[in-house]
Amino acid sequence: MPTEEMTMLRLLTLCLVATALGAASVAAHHGWGSYDASKPITVEGPITSSKFENPHALIAVKGKDKVWNVVLAPTTRMVSRGAPAAFIAVGKTVSAYGYASTREQDEMRAERITIDGKTVEMR
Amino acid sequence: MLAEAPQVLIALEQSALGAAIRQSVWAYPVANVGHIVALTLFAGSVAIMDARLIGAFAATPPAAIVRPARRMAMIGLLLMALTGSMLFTAEASHVAMNPVFQIKASLIGLGLANALLVAGPAMRALDAVPAFAPLPVRLRLSALLSLAIWISVAACGRLIAYF
Repeated sequence: MPTEEMTMLRLLTLCLVATALGAASVAAHHGWGSYDASKPITVEGPITSSKFENPHALIAVKGKDKVWNVVLAPTTRMVSRGAPAAFIAVGKTVSAYGYASTREQDEMRAERITIDGKTVEMR
Repeated sequence: MLAEAPQVLIALEQSALGAAIRQSVWAYPVANVGHIVALTLFAGSVAIMDARLIGAFAATPPAAIVRPARRMAMIGLLLMALTGSMLFTAEASHVAMNPVFQIKASLIGLGLANALLVAGPAMRALDAVPAFAPLPVRLRLSALLSLAIWISVAACGRLIAYF
């Protein structure tokens, strides 16, 4: 094999390894990266709006301090966990345990929600 | 909806099409899976094409590998753009403001420029190159760059969900 070719292959290998390592180190940071998992919060109150949509269902909850936008699970997972659209209907009282967004004000992502005494995991 | 996003993207997200993609049971997951399947086609074709340009499979004349692989990559890219537009439309304002998506979009621009401006004009000359003949350094560097760019694009795509 000519030397130039070997140098190129070495360079290529280096490039690929660097990309893989870079990606791995960033991904290892945290799965729900833009939510602050070090400070779990619980938001409790009536549901004021409810969107049963992909990629994630979304409810607005009138908490004690303010109205939170609570990000839930993808719709198919919601259904398979026993939380269809009717489960998160407007007017119901919910308790959502999860993490506040570090990027978007008033947004949190729920780890689990409890409605009518029934707790459903979102992850 | 992210209020600080450009108006046109907020309008796109709130359009009937955006709502239809979000509210359908199938549209979003199908686009999501389709995007990954299209990626395997695209990345596989690009890898074969670039490997030949860099110097692998030297027993086969370069054009015999590069030309069909380039066509296949274009089909893959078309499918990626189609499925990607669906995923983007559903969450346009959020995705557009995502820092990793912004890096990804820039890298796609760079990758396309490399493919069209550097590798593209060299295709005709490639037809005359026999097996085992060394290819111009400029073309080999372009292939190396292409691999690095498109692998990074794929990594960024996956990482959008984490930032």
